[in-house]
This record gives sequence, structure tokens and C-alpha cells, in this order.
Amino acid sequence: MAESGEINPPAPKPNPETTSPPPAPPQTEPQTPLLPPPPPPPPQPGSSQAKRPQQPESSPNPTTPSATESKDKDVTPTTAISSRLAEPEFVYIPSYSRWFSWNSIHECEVRFLPEFFDGRSPSKNPKTYKYCRNTIIRRFRDNPTKKITFTEVRKTIVGDVGSIRKVFDFLETWGLINYTANTSKSLIKWEEKESKSASASASHNADANGTSTDFTVPKKRVCSSCKTICRIACFASDKYDLTLCARCYVSGDNRVGVNNSDFRRVEISEEAKTDWTDKETLLLLEALLHYGDDWKKVAAHVGGRSTKECVARFVKLPFGEQFMGPLESTEVDSEPKSETMHPQSKRMRLTPLADASNPIMAQAAFLSALAGKEVAELAAHAAVTALSEIGAGITKGNLGSLLGGAEGQESDGTSNRYGKDIERAIVEARPQLEKEALDLERAVSDVAIETKEVEERIAHFEECDLQMEKEWQQLMQLKNLIFIDQLTLLLNKASAPKTGETIGEEVIDVKAE
Amino acid sequence: MKSHSGWGSLKNPVKFKIPTSENLVPIRLDIEIDGQRFRDAFTWNPNDPDSEVVVFAKRTVKDLKLPPAFVTQIAQSIQSQLTEFRSYEGQDMHTGERVVPIKLDLRVNHTVIKDHFFWDLNNFESDPEEFARTFCKDMGIEDPEVGPAIAIAIREQLYEIAIQSVASARESRANKKGRRGTEHLSASKIGMPALDLVKLFGIKSSVVRKKRDWDVYEPIVDLLSNEEVDALEAREERIAR
Repeated sequence: MAESGEINPPAPKPNPETTSPPPAPPQTEPQTPLLPPPPPPPPQPGSSQAKRPQQPESSPNPTTPSATESKDKDVTPTTAISSRLAEPEFVYIPSYSRWFSWNSIHECEVRFLPEFFDGRSPSKNPKTYKYCRNTIIRRFRDNPTKKITFTEVRKTIVGDVGSIRKVFDFLETWGLINYTANTSKSLIKWEEKESKSASASASHNADANGTSTDFTVPKKRVCSSCKTICRIACFASDKYDLTLCARCYVSGDNRVGVNNSDFRRVEISEEAKTDWTDKETLLLLEALLHYGDDWKKVAAHVGGRSTKECVARFVKLPFGEQFMGPLESTEVDSEPKSETMHPQSKRMRLTPLADASNPIMAQAAFLSALAGKEVAELAAHAAVTALSEIGAGITKGNLGSLLGGAEGQESDGTSNRYGKDIERAIVEARPQLEKEALDLERAVSDVAIETKEVEERIAHFEECDLQMEKEWQQLMQLKNLIFIDQLTLLLNKASAPKTGETIGEEVIDVKAE
Repeated sequence: MKSHSGWGSLKNPVKFKIPTSENLVPIRLDIEIDGQRFRDAFTWNPNDPDSEVVVFAKRTVKDLKLPPAFVTQIAQSIQSQLTEFRSYEGQDMHTGERVVPIKLDLRVNHTVIKDHFFWDLNNFESDPEEFARTFCKDMGIEDPEVGPAIAIAIREQLYEIAIQSVASARESRANKKGRRGTEHLSASKIGMPALDLVKLFGIKSSVVRKKRDWDVYEPIVDLLSNEEVDALEAREERIAR
């Protein structure tokens, strides 16, 4: 089986942080459906083509060598971009599963299926795991258009069904099997959910109509399918009179008859609900100075505001933009950015988002739906650059000084001046750096030339040495020959008086030789 | 706790478990509802939570597109077999020096397998799954369903033997209170036709089998044609009824 040559992920690939500060442990996060993952809906047939969707191109790789062993599933917002050549036809797998290779076991496999690797049971070892995994995948790829079922698999693999099921589920959630298959049937639970949302959206058209047309500015949009109040952003379709919150929009892409592109994105401004008084803002800044990144404490200090509101407010403050890039993680990036950027409604191209066959991707799609396409792209870029430079200490120092400076007066003047100073310093430093680099290069090249000369000389020396040895050996041989001659002469001389003439003849013969 | 001294004496009893490295239970399902027959066999890990049973049953029914009435039946069957297994768990098992013969005689789809070999019951590191995998690989069996079937067959036989040894342990414990003299004899005579290793490894004999025994112990793998399969199935059903 020819593979596309990527055995292991390259080490220094940065990855976006798991989640934003408030919903840090996914178990407590009310929004993200992380653990246990719900059964994924079948992906739309159109979504799995190899065309590049306009999705943010953040790194999909969910592992880091700096093994922060968080048991969370990492957020990876990409879709089926890569294709792997298994046999003459292409098999699509999502790019966040790029790490997979036939012969090795990857770190995230160890993380998600620890029971095979902790040595507690002697028959659950990496070898059996690999056998199990490879057999499942091979069987799926024998017929990639057909969704392989767990029962088929477990009938054919030697092993206990519990562990087979775990491996199977793992592979399915990571899209290594059943990713591009179309099924007529989907899982039971999901079917119920689908029918519910479909019927809900159909039957609650009137409701959505009512709510969305009655109010204009302080719009409290209620999603037609999940009936929750829409926050931050939602999707409205005038064609079908539907309003969906971002989550339903992303996950419920099997709405009957409704096309995803008919929806348009509507921002909801949270500011309209409650205004921040000066006192509260002051408390917020104080708290930030004291507690820095600990938003829980900040929220407690401010009193009456949730952590998310504090974050949002802080970033909205005039100097807040300066801290956005290198400091925060993806989610905080996207959230505040969405509110500082123009809150227009954007048309979303949904085909990439429809591929939410996976809680990881669902969450990522949800986030990017909230934030807007360009925003999410920029956020991802920023996060990538931020994580690649480990200058957290530097930025934190900046935060402290800038905060202190700007606290007294909430004006742009002071902060801008500081900003300019920093810029000037950077500009000055740059040419010096370049000069140093040039010097280094020159020195290195000199050294290289010297070493070359030395090498040549040594080679010449070796040749001469070799010659010398050869001649010496020849000399030795000659010496030996002469010695032999001498010996024979002596012998003959010794026996010459006894034998007389015959020996004499021999001697003459020898001498003649 | 070494069990070296001879055969059949009552050693320190060990807690019941199937004498393999992984304590898995072989489960067989044979359910008939409305004329639809569902037969299956697989291994189950008794350490999995019981919620798994229902999940598994639902999944199987969905994957095989069976009528939903099967779900409860399957779950019940699995659950009862599990409880039976667990009821043995607390009890002692007597482990003697025992190498027992295991016979394989099964038909999976088109493949018929007949084999006869010995298994060391004291080897708690043994792994029927590994055996099955190697067997299929060595014999070049293409049908992937054969492997699990072999593993399950072996496990079932081991399970049987383990149950018997629990019974024998109980019996000999009862005997202890009564007569003491026949203890040693009874333990070895109960149930299994264990191999007399002393005779085998003794001075006058060798480990290598005699030629006439070779055929008995050779694995036989046959591939049947469709008609033969049909004929066999019909015969089995007749016998079942």
C-alpha cells in the first residue's frame, strides 16, 4: 500500500490552544459537546471534495511535543483537505488526522486509548492495538464508499469486543474510517435529533417570524430548533423564516430542503444589554493589574459580571487591541475581534462548515461561525504566530507596564506614545542585527576555507606516506633476498671441501645465478 | 505457591479466573424472534461496565438491521452469561499440574477447522487470541471471521474446564472434612483427562510424538463449496430441532 510519505508529524508545529479562558475544562463548558461526543451526522456528499474551502488555515495538528497532557480534544477547524493514496483511488481523511501512519503509533492514540499502553493487562499491548487498528482501517478501505459497521468489524477481529469498540470509535471520531462514506441510514440517536430539529424548524416558523419581526434593536433572537437565546451571532434565513443559533446552524446541516447558503450571519451585540459604568471599568482595570490573566478572580473583583463579559469589556477598551495578537488564545482572539471589527452581517460559505461530522470540527465550525470568516482566519494566524514564539514573559511584562500607564487616563495618547517608543527601538535594533549576521557569515566562510586547505595538505601527506611505505617494503624484500644468497653461499662453502668438484660446480652455478 | 510436586494434589487454591492472560468471557448468543434467528459468539471483557451491554446490543441490532425487539433479548442474554461468570468469580479454583487437550471442530462460513492440541492450564499468561491469529496466518485462512471463532472456541473450553475445577475444589474441600485418604486421588481423577506428564517426560519416553499419532494432532482446514455448506446447515438445523 503506497502511503503519502508522512510518517510522523513534524515536531515544531504549533497548535491552537484548546479553549478560551472561561470554558477551560470542556467538561464544564455548556456549549461545546465534547465529552462524550454525540454521534456525528453523515457529512454532506458535496463537502468531501478536495476543493479548498475558505476556511482558516490554522495548524490541524493536535499534538505538541511539549506534552501538555490535557485530556481535551483539541480544536481543529479544518476540513477534508488532504487526500491519501491508499490504492489507485483516493481515500479522504480529515487533515487533523494527518498524523496517522500504518507502522507507528502516535501520541494522541496513546492519549485517547491509554488502556493499551499502560501495561496493566498483558494482552492489551501496542502490538494488538496496532493489529486491531490496521485491520479495521484496511477493511474499511477495501470498500471506502460503504460505511463500515462496528459489528462487521468485531466479527472479524480476534479480541474482546470492548476494546475493539473503543478502537473503532476512536477511528471513527478521527475520521480515519467512515469519513467519506455515504449512508442511507444514520445512527438512531442522531435520527431522532434530526427529525426533532427538522420538525422544530418547520413547525416553529411562525414563532421565529414573530420574534424576529417584532423587535428591532434589542433583538432577542431565539433559535428555532434548540430554542435558546442566540448570543454573539446567529444565522437567519429570510427565505424560510428561520433563525438558528450558531450551534444548530453548524450541526444541524441536515435540515430538510433548506440550503445552507440561504442563511446570513447576524451579529448580536451584547453591549446593548448592560452598559459598563465607569466604576465597573475602574474595578476591572484594577483587578487586571492585580490578577493578570486570572479572569475568574477579575470577575469576582468586579462583581456582577461574568468572566466572559469582563474579557469582552477589557478588550473593547481603547487600548485593549494591543494585547490581542500575541497574548490570548484562539477563542478570545476571535470573540473580541468579532466585536471590534465591523459587526456587519456576512454571507457565510457553509460547505466547509457543513462537514461537522465531528465534535472537534463542530466546535471549531461553531467558533468560526460566531466570529466570521476573515476574523477566524486572522485569529488563527495570530494564534499560530503567538504560539511559535514563546515570548509570553515579554508580553506579560508589556501588559503590566501599559496597564499602569493607561490606567489613569483612558485616552489613546499615552498608549500610542508607548507604542511608538517600542517601534523606534525595534527599528534601530534591526540593522544592527543584520550587520552582526553578516559578520558571522564572513567569519564562518573564512574558517571553511582554512579547513579545506588543511584537508588538502593532509591528503598529500598521506600519499607521500604511502609511497614511502611501498619503497620500504621493497627494500626489505631485497634485503631478505641478499640474506638468502649469503646463507646459501656459506652453506656451500662449508660443504665444499668434503664433496670437492661437484660442489664447486654447484657453487659456480649458484654464483652464476 | 509453586505447583511442582506431582500431579493432581490439591494445591493452594487460586481465585477463579479463566487461565489466560486476559480474563475474557466467551459469550454465545442464539436468539430467535418471529422466525428470525440470530446466532453470534464473541468475547467480552467482564471489567467493562454493564452499561456497555445495552450499548453493544443496540449497536449490533442497528448494524445488522435486525428488528428492535432483539435489543432487549440480546442484552438479557449477555447479562445473564456475565452474571453466571461473575458468580464463579469469588470462588476458589484448584490448579494442579494440568495439560489438557483442546479440540477444535468448527465451521465458519465456508471453512471447516479440525484441530487437536494441548493447553497448559497453569499458564496464566496464555492467550487464545494470539493463538487464533497465528493459526489463521499460518494456515493462510482468508476468511477473517475464522480467527475470532477459534479464539472463542478455545475460551469456551477453557471456561468449561475452569468451572469444573471450581466444582472439584469445592468437592475436595467437602471431602477434606470427611475422609482424608482419597483426597489426592480424587482431585486428579475428577473430570479432565489430563495428560500424564510424568509419563511423557519420563526417562523411557520422549517428547516427540509417535508417527501414528501425528494425524490425530494435525490441524485440518477444509474449504467447502456452497452446496456442502447448505447441506451442513440444513442438517444442523434438523439436529437443533
